[in-house]
Amino acid sequence: MAVCIAVIAKENYPLYIRSVPTQNKLKFHYTVHTSLDVVEEKVSTVGKSLGDQRELYLGLLYPTEDYKVYGYVTNSKVKFVIVVDSSNTSLRDNEIRSMFRKLHNSFTDVMCNPFHNPGDPIQSKAFDGIVSGMMVQTG
Amino acid sequence: MSVPDYMQSAEDHQTVLVVVQPVGIVPEDQFFKIYKRIATVSQVSIRDSQRLLYIRYRHHYLPENNEWGDFQTHRKVVGLIAITTCGSAKEWSQTAERFHGQKEVYSSTLYDSRLLVFGLQGEIAEQQRTDVAFYPSFEDCSDVEKRVEDFVESIFIVLESKRLDRATDKSGDKIPLLCVPFEKKDFVGLDTDSRHYKKRCQGRMRKHVGDLCLQAGMLQDALVHYHMSVELLRGVNDFLWLGAALEGLCSASVIFHYPGGTAGKAPGRKLSMSQAADAGKRHRPGAQEVLIDPGALTANGISADTSTEIGRAKNCLSPEDIIEKYKEAISYYGKYKNAGVIELEACVKAVRVLAIQKRAREASDFLQNAVYINLGQLSEEEKIQRYSILSELYELIGFHRKSAFFKRVAAMQCVAPTIPEPGWRACYKLLLETLPGYSLSLDPKDFSKGTHRGWAAVQMRLLHELVYASRRMGNPGLSVRHLSFLLQTMLDFLSDQEKKEVTQSLENYTSKCPGGMEVITLPDGLKLPPVPFTKLPIPQWPICLCSGLVSRYYNTRSGGCDFILYFQWVQGDVCEVQLMVYNPMPYELRVENMGLLTSGVEFESLPAALSLPAESGLYPVTLVGAPRTAGNITVNGYHTSVFGVTSDCLLEGLPAVKTTGCLVEVIPSLPRLQLSTSLPRSVHPPQPMSKEELSSTVSVQLFNGETQQLTITLENIGSEDIETLELTSKIVTSKQSVSLLLHKVQNFYVRLKKEFASIYSFIQFLPNGISVTGLPISSPLRQVLKPRPENKPVSSEPGKAEYSHIKTLEAVLNFKYSGGAGKVEGYYRELSLGVHVDVEPSVFFTRVSTLPATSTRQCYLLLDIFNPTEHELTVCAKNNQDLVLHASECQR
Repeated sequence: MAVCIAVIAKENYPLYIRSVPTQNKLKFHYTVHTSLDVVEEKVSTVGKSLGDQRELYLGLLYPTEDYKVYGYVTNSKVKFVIVVDSSNTSLRDNEIRSMFRKLHNSFTDVMCNPFHNPGDPIQSKAFDGIVSGMMVQTG
Repeated sequence: MSVPDYMQSAEDHQTVLVVVQPVGIVPEDQFFKIYKRIATVSQVSIRDSQRLLYIRYRHHYLPENNEWGDFQTHRKVVGLIAITTCGSAKEWSQTAERFHGQKEVYSSTLYDSRLLVFGLQGEIAEQQRTDVAFYPSFEDCSDVEKRVEDFVESIFIVLESKRLDRATDKSGDKIPLLCVPFEKKDFVGLDTDSRHYKKRCQGRMRKHVGDLCLQAGMLQDALVHYHMSVELLRGVNDFLWLGAALEGLCSASVIFHYPGGTAGKAPGRKLSMSQAADAGKRHRPGAQEVLIDPGALTANGISADTSTEIGRAKNCLSPEDIIEKYKEAISYYGKYKNAGVIELEACVKAVRVLAIQKRAREASDFLQNAVYINLGQLSEEEKIQRYSILSELYELIGFHRKSAFFKRVAAMQCVAPTIPEPGWRACYKLLLETLPGYSLSLDPKDFSKGTHRGWAAVQMRLLHELVYASRRMGNPGLSVRHLSFLLQTMLDFLSDQEKKEVTQSLENYTSKCPGGMEVITLPDGLKLPPVPFTKLPIPQWPICLCSGLVSRYYNTRSGGCDFILYFQWVQGDVCEVQLMVYNPMPYELRVENMGLLTSGVEFESLPAALSLPAESGLYPVTLVGAPRTAGNITVNGYHTSVFGVTSDCLLEGLPAVKTTGCLVEVIPSLPRLQLSTSLPRSVHPPQPMSKEELSSTVSVQLFNGETQQLTITLENIGSEDIETLELTSKIVTSKQSVSLLLHKVQNFYVRLKKEFASIYSFIQFLPNGISVTGLPISSPLRQVLKPRPENKPVSSEPGKAEYSHIKTLEAVLNFKYSGGAGKVEGYYRELSLGVHVDVEPSVFFTRVSTLPATSTRQCYLLLDIFNPTEHELTVCAKNNQDLVLHASECQR
């Protein structure tokens, strides 16, 4: 269902980005890259008003003609972006949330790996597996 | 109305539009000079009132857009200033005709017009006409501004009269229906007497009056009229005009809230920015005054009939409401396909307001909407304009990535295949502007800090496009620079196939225009720093600095010499630096012209060319050069030429090398000796000595007692004469020093021939000693010294043999010499020769037995003696019995 899943570091460079192989990879790079504008804007406005009790899930960042882009920001300002197909209307907000939570858990596991250097691209197979699961599962 | 004006902002609603146009032949630069002067008169304070009139100038305006003037009066051309040249009185009538023709174009809306005539003198020029001003030349027209001000005042009078005329229209009169061009045919045959129709007429007229009030500087009145209009139009579902009324309300509120203006960045307004801000300040108190004292309005002689209808203070929308109303207005506009331009412009205006309010997310929603507004068939140029403006607006609200995205789209549009003459230059310029959005700088230094972190895929694409655009621009130098940058910074992200492609095209470009190290400065001032290929090949720490090829040298004054860390280079000598490099490319890498970069003393680099195999491991490269003068030299880096791009790689810029350069002392020139011997060089160096110390080693195999002559040839290959030569020798003790045998230098002499600058020396070895298997007996010691008179230094070399079948003797001959300028400074060189001698016993006693002799106290000692040599051997016993042994013979 998800067509592209990306993890972006605090400094806004990609740690991990994967998209469905059937489509142009570069296009998703552009989509995710430009979505960061919205993420930053959302984080800066939300951060001020709510302080620590920030909702990690940012909701729909912006809809494009073909895709919907959802965002999620961890407390350490690592961003997750999920791009789903606009035609997939059955997908509810809650499901997106749970996808993000799963992604976050897996990401935490990656960070717990003593051999992983934070800031390096994610190469974990386990993480890859989780992402693959999200990309294939239907509805 | 098809061409949107992207520069519009909310406060443009209060301006009156004046078109300034050339008539006849007017030089363009002169026209724009005058145009600029006219444009400085952007607001005029009207006498006898506190009001200000704002003027918007255009030198080009479509009459088609003018037709929308009733809809929003700021779209209406109310003034025309024509500029013309007129050489003689004869041409005058023709010029006047043209001016009238020009007026015709906008005749339906024009309030007033002026003609500025340049170059005409004489009778005609002296007549006083209000609508024509004569100037002898473009330089001599000091009162242009004054003229324009007068002109604006006259426009104001018309405007004010129209406003009063419309505002006082009583509902009893027949109100004409205002409509936009595409509506006209819809109203044919409509019942003009119905209440519905009348309300519609009223609503539209109210809105129109509101517009006029706004233009005439009566903000509060305008607000009131707009409010009433909204009420009326809502009742009759006249959405297009309702939208316009709402937008008018927004505009008026924006003008009230943000007197500084919302379009500060729009290029057209830059000129008058300071004045506008100033004017805003002046305007604001006026508006407040109205708020506080309603009587002020009437005092100014303005009709008060509308102002009593709704309370003033709440007329103005709050900043949040402005956005709400804009949204509503835009949604109404959206219902009409023909109002696309209006909708788009409203979006742009709303975004500008939101940018001021710093509500970027909502602004992005508006922009998102604007992206989808379909304006029908757009020309390519319009598309470019549209994308650029979108990019600009995104930039305004701080969405730099989005802005870069649209700028890139605009750039690509410049060179779309459908365009007959692609604008590569424009494309390139736009692409460059996108760089910050993709957090990409063109300075390779920014990439030297560890692994690159960024959107490599996107950045690579952009770089590829830059390369392509610059090539199509006909600037191969630029494309080489960009391509080098791509290769250098994105190497880790390129696939093997891409690497191949990139290097191939780089080679193609460099064949036309070799890449260099100079900074390329673009016409707009942007500097492209040079891109040294520090990754082709990649150097690795440590960089090992080696000294001269043959000889070493020490400073006698500095005492103990640290071989590894302390050394000097000699002036005029070839020095070398060893570098470990590896080739990251999947194919063979040819590096040409690789040499050292130094600072300090004059240095002659001797470049080398090398070829590194595909994905080689560490590969040593020796870079050589010769310092030309004495002093200190710093090795800063190296230069290479790869794929036709020369690059200077400084050590400080290399992440793998943690040094900024090596300081080496260069001492004055010294002579240099080359040593060769008559014996073959040995492969294995003497054990306790490090190989570093010996320039060469000879090995020889001898039998006990055998004599071998060794000729050592010393040749002075340097440019300096040898003034002193000193010879010392040293025995290397071996592990088994139990038995000591003599080894002597029997004959050694050195002949020094200055004129040929060469030295000969002869050394003869005579290993002495007998060894018996199993039991060592004796080790006689002899030493013979035979120095020849003509020789200078002579040294003996005591040798030793060891207990074994084969004994190894090792010795080192040291030649210390100096000469030339270096000698004055106290430097000398050393040359050492290791001598390795394997001594084999010449006689073996293979068996020992006794036989009873005649006397009981004596016995015969029987020895089986074996001669392993190839020579005859005489064994002498005490009783002078000589025994001759032939080669390989065994006797008893």
